[in-house]
Amino acid sequence: MRLTTTGEVHNFDRSIIGIITTKPLPPEERRQRIRFVAADETIQAQDVSEYRALLCHDELKDIPGVPYVHRLRESDHLKDGDIVVLERNAGVVRSLYRPYELHHHLFVTERCNSNCLMCSQPPKDRDDVEALTERNLELIRLIAPHPPYLTITGGEPTLLGDNLFKLITQLKLSMPETELHMLTNGRTFAWPEYARRFAQAEHPNISLGIPLYSDFAGAHDYVVQAKGAFDQTVAGMHQAARNGIRVEVRVVLHKLTIPRLTKLMDFIYRNLTFAEHIALMGLEYTGYTPRNIEELWIDPYDYQDELEEAVEYLAVRNINVSIYNHQLCVLRPSLWSYARKSISDWKTLYLPECEKCSALPACGGLFQWAVRKHSDHIHAIAFSEPSAIQKCS
Amino acid sequence: MARAFYPLERFAPAPAGFHLLPFRFTRLNGKELLVNEAGEFIFAPAGTVERLADERLDANTELYQDLKAKHFIYDDSSSPLLDILATKVRTKFDHMCGGTKLHIFVVTLRCEHSCEYCQVSRQTATRGEFDMSHATADRAIVMMMDSPARAVTLEFQGGEPLLAFDVIQYIIPRAKKQAREKGKDLDIVVCTNLACVTDDILMYFRDEGVKVSTSLDGPAFLHNKNRPRPGHNSYEKAIEGIERSRAILGMESVAALMTTTAASLDYAAEIVDEYVRQEFHSIFLRPISPYGFAVKTRHRTGYEMDRFLEFYKEGLAHILKVNRGGYRIAEVYTQILLTKILTPHSTRYVDMQSPAGEAWNVLVYNYDGDVYASDESRMLAEMHDWTFRLGNVHKDTRRTLFTSDAALQMFQASCNQALPGCSDCAFQSYCAADPVYHHATQGDMYGHRPTSGFCARNMEVIKHLFALIEENDRETMRILWSWVTGQSAKREVVECA
Amino acid sequence: MTMDQGECTGTPDAPHAVVEINLAIISAEALLKTCYWFSRDFVCEMRNRNERVAEVCLTPRNPDSGFDLASTKDAFQTSAMDFALREKIEAKTSGIRDLLLAKAFSESGVLEDQPEGVFGDTVEEMKPDSMFKILGSPQH
Repeated sequence: MRLTTTGEVHNFDRSIIGIITTKPLPPEERRQRIRFVAADETIQAQDVSEYRALLCHDELKDIPGVPYVHRLRESDHLKDGDIVVLERNAGVVRSLYRPYELHHHLFVTERCNSNCLMCSQPPKDRDDVEALTERNLELIRLIAPHPPYLTITGGEPTLLGDNLFKLITQLKLSMPETELHMLTNGRTFAWPEYARRFAQAEHPNISLGIPLYSDFAGAHDYVVQAKGAFDQTVAGMHQAARNGIRVEVRVVLHKLTIPRLTKLMDFIYRNLTFAEHIALMGLEYTGYTPRNIEELWIDPYDYQDELEEAVEYLAVRNINVSIYNHQLCVLRPSLWSYARKSISDWKTLYLPECEKCSALPACGGLFQWAVRKHSDHIHAIAFSEPSAIQKCS
Repeated sequence: MARAFYPLERFAPAPAGFHLLPFRFTRLNGKELLVNEAGEFIFAPAGTVERLADERLDANTELYQDLKAKHFIYDDSSSPLLDILATKVRTKFDHMCGGTKLHIFVVTLRCEHSCEYCQVSRQTATRGEFDMSHATADRAIVMMMDSPARAVTLEFQGGEPLLAFDVIQYIIPRAKKQAREKGKDLDIVVCTNLACVTDDILMYFRDEGVKVSTSLDGPAFLHNKNRPRPGHNSYEKAIEGIERSRAILGMESVAALMTTTAASLDYAAEIVDEYVRQEFHSIFLRPISPYGFAVKTRHRTGYEMDRFLEFYKEGLAHILKVNRGGYRIAEVYTQILLTKILTPHSTRYVDMQSPAGEAWNVLVYNYDGDVYASDESRMLAEMHDWTFRLGNVHKDTRRTLFTSDAALQMFQASCNQALPGCSDCAFQSYCAADPVYHHATQGDMYGHRPTSGFCARNMEVIKHLFALIEENDRETMRILWSWVTGQSAKREVVECA
Repeated sequence: MTMDQGECTGTPDAPHAVVEINLAIISAEALLKTCYWFSRDFVCEMRNRNERVAEVCLTPRNPDSGFDLASTKDAFQTSAMDFALREKIEAKTSGIRDLLLAKAFSESGVLEDQPEGVFGDTVEEMKPDSMFKILGSPQH
């Protein structure tokens, strides 16, 4: 699913964010909208006053003072209700929120203080915090309907400093019943004062998703490419818990994390007993991963022993665990009840062999980039009894 | 501009050397078992401890990484995470938090049974003479509610408490009122042989949310042999009582405990089968109480526990077999030890704590107002040994009870960290201290470890459990874990082509 | 258990094991602890042969118990070595153990130290008023 397109920018010099409407609206309803003009429509100036901007796939006759972007490269992906930002530079039209999607993200910065070998969103050392915060504050106000869940992501959100607390406060005001999950490396929480301030934001429903890749400090630091990160992350998780902030641990499964996987589960159980949930994630062939693929790649089919042992370890201790980004055909059936359909809608792909698979409705599929790299063992599953599929998820 | 990636050596440099964190060890089945200060263990090849003591361990081994991750060693390439380790140690002492939680009210010494091992009952006593008075009850309730604990348990014992049902009815509403006023949670349990229970009594318990704990020593022949009463029908009355109680209170409100006597020791499987037949889901294989003997003069060989240990192992094997067959029943002693061995937590069971649970976690208020550090302490008093009588509800406050000579003397012998034989023991984190037991059986609160029945029992059972842990049979471990977590061990299996 | 210059004071004909202990390796304390545990099954009598070597005479309390004296000696040596090891470990860890227990039982001592190391990305580290400088400053 396309995220961005480009076009020609006219009549504005600061980014404009708004909700797309493909239908004409009465003036009192236009205040938050960006009007998407169809090819065969003719419009007059009075038809478009109050809209934040206009969008058109084709040529639009200039109306002085009315911001617009026209001659879009693509536009099939733009739907009524989508929230987009029209970026002044380079004429980028970026989709920020699509109400019909299952999973929603609030992207807050590209900066990061780690540099994970398998990062799916490689960091940039450019201070985008002020601009993105301003944009996100408006985005939060525009989001409708309020989603049940929202993931705050980056980069490393805690690098926003007080701007993060501004965003969380706005979320509390605009959509208090939305559950927030923030992906963070947790390192900043090692500062007792930071953890206290974060807790003081007093959001009623927020949890942290913090990755930990080994029980052995050097191995974790190597995967995240930051010296001292293990110590900081573990201390950070403790400070968070101490301040009543809910914590979940995430582990990306690849060649560097599989060998000590169960030992890592043991470390989490004994040292991070407060962790609510463990998320075991499949590797995404995007971002930095292709560059480091030699070191990282292990066919998921080949680590089922380790995965099963780790999941069993947690299951007998009654610890919540989920497996994300794995296809059912490469997972052992004993693990199916832990597999979740987790791939964001715009990323999902199924391969030709999937067409005949009886498990298709329950399976999360693959990532878009899986065309280039996936397990050698993707195959259609046939069930000996039709009701077996109900036992998944 | 893209950032560079750095090699492993930058983040995991070969350490200049390593340092030890505190740990204890023992030899087990050809391997070394190391246990750190937070009670976490690791099995290592023989010779590891010597290499650790000489700081001669190769850093390029999986064993080195394991020891570092599990807080046995640290080096300068990363933090020893002492604060995390300290938090884990603190968690292991959670049972110290909050003050005395279990308060035993001995409402009467009257009983119509004449069990051999019982020190306390008065069969021929008239009503009133050995019953708790209202004045004493009032003072005891105040003492109980003075405990800082947010949740307290009031346990009625005797003699046979139901013979003083009027006293129970006096106490319960007053205890509940004070609990409400102080914002405390209150659980109430009655320990009874159920021989004289009536539906009216049971309905009262149902309405007040009281739970019942009764005795079931095994099949009829064993139970009756242990518990003589007029009519020789203790078993039949017990079963009848259990059925009636369950009917009125519900299955979850009726529990059974067994008392082990010399006669029981040959019948481990039969006792377990009886519990299964009566649909109980937990059984406590407790050793024979040592408090019935003229113990101080008796010569102790240190082997008194052997027969019990055979009984326990047979019993446990049979219980595991029953569980494998699909019927869920947990063995409580095993569950307590496994909680200490396998989880980050401590146990709430007062007889297996260090510092010992006596007074810290349990207080006994006798019918006459005397306050004892434990039930066994009270039994000793019946034999004219008042070593563990802390005071009296009519004369003392909580402060004077805990600073009495009896209490202070007992506390000095209550930490196994500081007892001879225990201070070096690998199982220290899993075991406990019991000054009352050692005083009763050896004449010395501190105890002589090599001949201590308490030590023999715990050490042998812990070793037995470690053998199971090392064997790591999947089904056995699932069953054992289900006892620890209280969750089902059953697992769904999906079949496909 | 007696310290004596004479022979084993048990019955002369009773089978007994004599264990030699090198006092340079095994301290008197370690020896005492070993005897403590062996005293369940044996009468333990210690004496110094000279300032470097001690002898321990182990006489089974129950002559019919069937203890094999060769493996008894072995077990005693192993146990004594283990107690010597424990002393070594205790000496190396008693300081950090005290610190650990002080932290464990203090009301507020745990987790209040300022963390060490680099926390920021390049952008943050270049700022004169970086958030980590602010977090670490005295008023916090």
